Formats: sequence, C-alpha cells, structure tokens
Amino acid sequence: MFKSTRLTLVALLFSASALTATAEGFSPENPECIAPANPGGGWDFTCRQVGKSMQDQGLIEKTMQVVNLAGGGGGVAFAEVVNKRNDDNDLIVAASAATSTRLAQGAYPGNNMNEVRWLASIGADYGVIAVAANSEIADLTGLLDAMKNDPTSISIAGGSAVGGWDHLKVLIAANAYGIEDVRSVKYIAFDGGGEAVTQLLAGSVQAFTGDVSEAKGFVESGDIRVIAVLAPERLDGEFADFPTAREQGVDAIGANWRGFYAPGGMSDEAYEGWVEKIGALYASDAWKEVMATNGMAPLDLQGAAFQEFVANSVAQIESISREIGIIQ
Amino acid sequence: MSDRIFGVFGVLLAIGFAIAASLIQESFLSDAVGPKAFPYIIAAILGLSSAVIALRPDPEPIWPPLGQLIEILAAAVVMILYAQLLPVAGFVIATAFAAAYLSWRLGSTILGACLTGVGTSVGIYVVFHLVLGLSLARGPLGF
Amino acid sequence: METLSSLADGFAIALTWQNIGLALLGCFLGTIMGALPGLGPSNGVAILIPLAFTLGLAATPSLILLTSVYYGAMYGGRISSILLNIPGDEPAMMTCLDGYPMAKKGMAGEALSLSGISSFVGAFFATWGLILLAPQLVKIALLFGPAEYFALFALAFMTLGGVSSTNQAKSAFAAALGLGFAMIGVDTQTGVPRFTFGEVHLYDGLDFLVAIVGLFALSEVFIFLENRHGEASAKGKTIVIGRLTPPLSMLKACTPTMLRSSFVGFIAGVLPGAGASLGSFLSYSLEKRMVDKDGTFGTGDPRGVAAPEAGNNAAAGGALVPMLALGVPGSGTTAVLLAVLLSLNITPGPLLFANNPDVVWGLIAALFIANFMLLALNIPMVGIFTRLLLVPPRVLMPIVAMVSFVGIYGISGSSFDLLVMIGFGLLGWVLRKFDVPLVPIILGTLLGNAMENNLRRAITIDNGNWWTLIDSPLAIGLWVVAIIGFILPLFFARKVKSGMQRGDAEGSIKD
Repeated sequence: MFKSTRLTLVALLFSASALTATAEGFSPENPECIAPANPGGGWDFTCRQVGKSMQDQGLIEKTMQVVNLAGGGGGVAFAEVVNKRNDDNDLIVAASAATSTRLAQGAYPGNNMNEVRWLASIGADYGVIAVAANSEIADLTGLLDAMKNDPTSISIAGGSAVGGWDHLKVLIAANAYGIEDVRSVKYIAFDGGGEAVTQLLAGSVQAFTGDVSEAKGFVESGDIRVIAVLAPERLDGEFADFPTAREQGVDAIGANWRGFYAPGGMSDEAYEGWVEKIGALYASDAWKEVMATNGMAPLDLQGAAFQEFVANSVAQIESISREIGIIQ
Repeated sequence: MSDRIFGVFGVLLAIGFAIAASLIQESFLSDAVGPKAFPYIIAAILGLSSAVIALRPDPEPIWPPLGQLIEILAAAVVMILYAQLLPVAGFVIATAFAAAYLSWRLGSTILGACLTGVGTSVGIYVVFHLVLGLSLARGPLGF
Repeated sequence: METLSSLADGFAIALTWQNIGLALLGCFLGTIMGALPGLGPSNGVAILIPLAFTLGLAATPSLILLTSVYYGAMYGGRISSILLNIPGDEPAMMTCLDGYPMAKKGMAGEALSLSGISSFVGAFFATWGLILLAPQLVKIALLFGPAEYFALFALAFMTLGGVSSTNQAKSAFAAALGLGFAMIGVDTQTGVPRFTFGEVHLYDGLDFLVAIVGLFALSEVFIFLENRHGEASAKGKTIVIGRLTPPLSMLKACTPTMLRSSFVGFIAGVLPGAGASLGSFLSYSLEKRMVDKDGTFGTGDPRGVAAPEAGNNAAAGGALVPMLALGVPGSGTTAVLLAVLLSLNITPGPLLFANNPDVVWGLIAALFIANFMLLALNIPMVGIFTRLLLVPPRVLMPIVAMVSFVGIYGISGSSFDLLVMIGFGLLGWVLRKFDVPLVPIILGTLLGNAMENNLRRAITIDNGNWWTLIDSPLAIGLWVVAIIGFILPLFFARKVKSGMQRGDAEGSIKD
C-alpha cells in the first residue's frame, strides 16, 4: 500500500500550483473522500492531496473531509460504500491496482467491481525487474533461463504479499517466457519495496520486482541494474536506458494505476461532475512535468473509459491468478 | 486455586489455538514453511507456560466482591453501547453520555458528572476535530 | 572537517525565525500527541502533514516542522506513562515499569524531569551518530538478512523473562498470547486468512494501538471502578508531588545507564523493522541485567526510567539512518516522513547526501534545534504536568477513556476496533488480577509478524533448510546472547529462591 503513496503524493502536490480550470454544474455540498487505510498510507495521501488541490483550484468550494476507514485491504471501505453509502453524491474513494487485484482474487468477500462506479485515473507506474549491480545475470532472459533451469537458485524479492501485484508481475513475465509451472518461482514478500531492495543489496536475494519509483534512487547510485521495464515502449528521459521486456522477446506488461471510485447509486450529474473535476486536475502542465521526472506513465482515463479499463484489468488479473493457482 | 484454573484455561486456549491453526486453508502457492508452522510453535509455548502456571501457582489474588464485578461489567456494557451508538448519535452527544456515566460511577455527583461529560466531549471535539482535523463520527445534528 | 562545515551550513539554513517558530510549534504539538493515549508519533506526523501543506511550506521548513513533531511525540509518550501508568505511545511502554512506581512514591516530578533529560541525552547522541556514521551504519543494516532478524527478535523474547514480572512462566504466557494476536489476519507470505473467523474487519489483523490502549488505558479505568468503594480509606492520604528536578546524585547515578542505553537504542533504530519499541525494550532489559543487583527495577528505580527513555529517543534518531541513506523506513513514523520527502520531490537513498546536502544538513540541524527546544520546553513544564495528578479520578478517568476511544476511532473510523479495544480492556483487567505482565503482550503483537515473516523468508530462500538460521557468524552470536539471557535468570532465580528457603527454614527452627 505504501508504494502507491509516493507518486500520487508527488504528483498531487505539484499539480496544486498550476491548475486553473473550474468545473461548471455539479458541486458537492459536503465533499468527502474515504481512504480505505490508516493515515499515512497511499490511499490516505491520495485523498488528502486531491482534496486539498481541488479546493486550491476552486474545483470544490468546501474542504474535502477525509475519512479513514481501514480494514481488509480496502474491503471494509468497499463494503461500507456498497451497503450504507450507496446513493451518496458527495463521496469518492481512493483506489489503485491493489484494489483491482483484490477484487479479481475475491479478497472482498461478497463484493464485485460493478457495485461501484469508477471515476477516473490519476496516473500509473510501470513495473521493473532489477538485479544487483555486480550480478552475473545480464538481462531478463538470463534471469528467466536461470529460473527455468533451477527454480531454487533464484529468489526474487518484492514489496507486496504473495499473489499481490509485485509478485504477479514476475509471474506474468515467467509465463510469457514459457515457464510452465510458475508456482516454482521463488518469491519472497517484504514489507515495502525499500526493504526488498535492501535485501537485494545485502545479497539475501538475487532479483527485485517493484515499481520504477522504488528503483530510481538505487539505479542512479549504481547499486542496482534494471534488466527490464514492463512497459509497452521505453520510458522517457532518464529512464530511457531501461530495456523493455518486449524488446527482449518477453511479452509482459504491468502497470500500477491509481484513481478513484464512487458509490454505485451516485446520480449521473454528480458522476459527470466528479469525472470532470478529476480530469481537470490531471490535465495540468505541472502534473506532466512531475510524471516525466518520476518515470510515471500517463494514464489519462475518465468516466466510461476508466470503467472499462478497470474491468479489463480485473479480468486479466483474475485469469492469471487462476492460471497460476492463487484462486480456484 | 485461581492460578490453577487460569493455567488449565491457558492449556485449553493453546489447544484451541492449535486446532484453529490446523484449520488454516493452505493456499496453492506456499512458501517452504507455510502459514501453520509458526502458530504451532506459539501454541506449544502457550501450552507449556500455562501448564507451569497451573503446577506452580502464585499466591491467590484478591477478587472483588460481586457488586464491583457488576460495576465493571456495567461499565463495559456502556462502552459497547457507546461504540455502537457513536455512528448513529454523533460524536458529541454519545461521548457526553458515556463520559458522564463513567464519572458518575467513579463517585461524582449527578451535576458534576454531567459537567464532566459535556466538558470532556466538547473539549475533545475542539482539540481532535477542529484543531487536529481528525474525522469524528457525524451525528444527525452535524456534530 | 568537512562534516562540521556542512553542519554549520545546515544551521545557517535552519536558523531563521520562521523555522524556529515552526520547531517550537512542532515540539509543542508533538509532545501533546505523544502524551495522549492512542495517538503516537506516526499518527501524529501523518495528521500534521496537511498542516505543513496548508501553510505552503518549502521542503526544509516542512521537514523541520514534522521532525519536531516526531521528536516531540517521542518525548511526550513518557508523560502519561509516568503519571497514569498508561503509555502515551508504544515505545513509552517500558517507562511505565519504573516511572509509575516513582510517581506513586511521590517522585513524579523527578521522574518526569529525569526522563526528559534522558530523552535529551539519547536523542543528542543519536543525532551525532547520524552525522558521523550514517554512511558506515548502512553497512550494519546490510549485514542483517532474514535469518539475522529472526535471531534478533528471538533475542528480545528470550531475554523477556524476569524483565517485567517475577514469574517467568507468566511472562512467557503473555509473550505467546501477544504473538498469537499478531497471527490474526491475512498471512502476508501466502495471502491466506488466519484466525479471522470470516470477519472482514480482522483481515488486516489487530492494530497494536487498539491492543495497547485497551490493555493499558481501559483496564486502568476498570481498576479505578473496582477500587472506588475503597476510596474513602485512601482519601486521607494526600498526594505528594515532590521536587521537580532530580538531585545531582540521581543524575550522576543514571549517567552510565543513559550512555549505554543511547548506544543500544541507536543500533536498534538503525535496523529497519526493529524500531524504537525494541530499542527501549532492549535498553531496559540490558540495564536490568547489568546494574540491578538489589532487584529494585520495577519498583521505581530512576535508572529504570532513564534507560528506556534514552533508548527510545536514540532509536528515533537511529531510524533516520536507513530512511535517509537507503530510503527504507525503520519505523512507522519514518515511513510517513519518507512519504513526505518523496512528496517534496526528494528521493532518499544512497545519493541523498550528495544530491540534496541542504535538505540533509538542514534536517540534522533541525533535529538539534528540536532537541534543545524540547528540553527547554519540558523541564519547566514538569510542574504543569504533575498537576494532572491532582485532578480527581472521577474526572480524569472518563477523560482518559474518551480520549482513548477518540484516538482509535479517529484513526480507523471503525466501531469494530472500539469493541476489540473494550475486549482488550477487560482482558487487561483480568490479567492484572493474575499478575500477568502486559508488556510482553504488546511486544508480541508488535513484533510477531516481522518475526514470523523473517523466519519464513530465511527458510524459503534456503529452500526449506532450517539450519540456515545459524548459518552466519552474526546469527550465531545473537543466538548465543539470547540463550545466555534465557538461561542465566533461570539459574539465578533458583539460587535466590533456595537461599530464601534456607532462610525460612532457619527462621522456623529458631521458633
């Protein structure tokens, strides 16, 4: 959860300065954002900063009330919105790839993604696979070959739980490379990407899976080497050196998106109003600059397009999870 | 005697914990140790230490008379009601009542208890909500 | 020296009127948050982040404000530990053990100012450690793989016996209970739910704040309710506040303790995942082993107050080392601070000292300023804090209970957490009756998951080979210390006991 904090927060802060757009029509009376986690987590920052930026730019008149509703990896908040707040027009809820992963794996018991309305995205972060700078492994195929020959010889560290997004990224790559039994892949779950990178440096593990933002500092210092970025094309700017998995013949893509959903019974007018407001927030120049410096990829989806994107993402994760046996 | 009962209860708790651990659904995708091993170790320590407590008891604690036990249970019930009513009645009202009850049972006069209740409630509302910006339960009256 | 001139530059950046004002504000708010049960340093910092943004502060002033809050909360936690026997935050838990007995003996003022001075010493040395050793210390963190972390946690639990109770079996029971609570929730290694009984609220596990506030604060309320009827007899006794500053002889006696504890705490802080609670715990148990010849620890020994306070504040400084140099938060609070740094477009990591020297040295200078300010703020305020003891329980206890509820509800927004907290309150009351120590329960809840995860990581990395746990010199060293720490007290306890029994036997012969 923590990792989704970083870029969102960066992006939102910087966006605060340059926005001028104002939304017409719908204006929430008591705007409220549920962060499905404790203060300090990624979703919490998403809420607090979007709320503040929106108010600064005059997109909303009153202060956005941020409510923390932790539990069940977002499941408690999801159930609360569906069951008790279903027709609330003033409410939005922070979400990310972690939300769609849990929805896909049935980790919100009794709930599915169609019970809420998906508003808009505010960016994405592509996955990377990295090794220590002095590693003998030269590229992604080298790593995958080693895993194919002797799965016990390679431990891969990541910041999410088993079956979580960091783990799935490796499995997507392994699957694409033709490793039949992806369950033999040795994934070690750590509490956050930073801890996982540290263990890579300490030599406890052989490879790291995470986001561009997590690897950035260590790549610059020359401690680790990115052997693949799971993006369709090479990233811009300082990240252009990272080879994509695709150009190495491994057709694997993994993006961690961030955005919001709203109650399922929200009126169309309110829905359109929120979509427009988040869209205006996303469209500022300062935002694009931040995305470039952080290796964050644009993901400009609002309204119906975003709804479809989340649906596809849930379906994809569900099929992968089923294939590798995380869910039956 | 109390410690012996406590120790036996602890052993039962350890057994229950181990049984609950054995019922954990192993997922397809497991690590070398699995999700059950550590709980088993804990259950073993829990059981062993409970057995020692049962076999070598400390001196008897002083148990309160029935009246005070009821007093404690009543306070717990009030707190449970408070937890349930908080989202319904709103923070300020619910808190004022609960604080007044506790103050009354701790020996305040009725008037003193009411003052303590209202003071506590409003004071906390100002510090936590208005100054620190925490979201507290909003009642029908907006506070 | 290059370091000193950089530090001077840092002070030049930090010492503006605005920054000093922010540091003062941060210290004050932090102290209050630390003292309130339910709000600790990590929540305190998280809650005040919007304030920093609302004020439109630049990077350095924001960091100065938030680190002042961080250090302030570390100072503030001791206040309610000493005065009410309720830890204001989790690292202050160990301060209850001797701080509250001191207050009961009429030495509340001395305990508060002594702990303030110890906090200062711990934080002061930790800040110097951060300046002089940060690049080298990172190497220590890299020596710790999963197996070594497991050994470290085992060390903490094995030296637990006798620290907080005279009955080792009850300490072990409490620790196992705490570890058991930690197991509740979705297993982070495999994603299967454990001990949740289908309750979605339990999927994320129990929040240790809920446990700590329930076990300490609510059970205290229940104890007062139980004893109310006996109040008449106790009323004749006037409350003694005593002197406000410790005598020089006490400070002198505590100085070696403070220095040792600062060192232990600092190292614990440097290790990501160990943190301030482990720092204060290890400092206390080490001091008890080293200097507690007469068994006065736990009955109001000033050294028992100095040790955990120096330890936890040193750990707070130590935790900044991996955060700044590796981008790895060593505690919940540094995780929040890390997010703030990132939000200010500063990437902590190996290059931070080279790329953003102004931020690093400004931050370090701010730590010094906050530390001196807290000392200056805390010592005169001891007199005000101790007045709290004069508030009658019938007013004070409802406030304590309600602040506990609000602290928890305001953070999680969940009535379910409140019910769990009430359950912990009743449990705490029963366990106190049985003389079962509460500290090991909290330690178990805090460290249980990290301990299990590191065990499983170590063994998974080595393909199911359990011998990997004692495969490095460091791990073996830690295990040796742990085993000695576990066996020695058993041996001594028997010796002392048999000595006492012999004394009894002689006595009975004389009769």
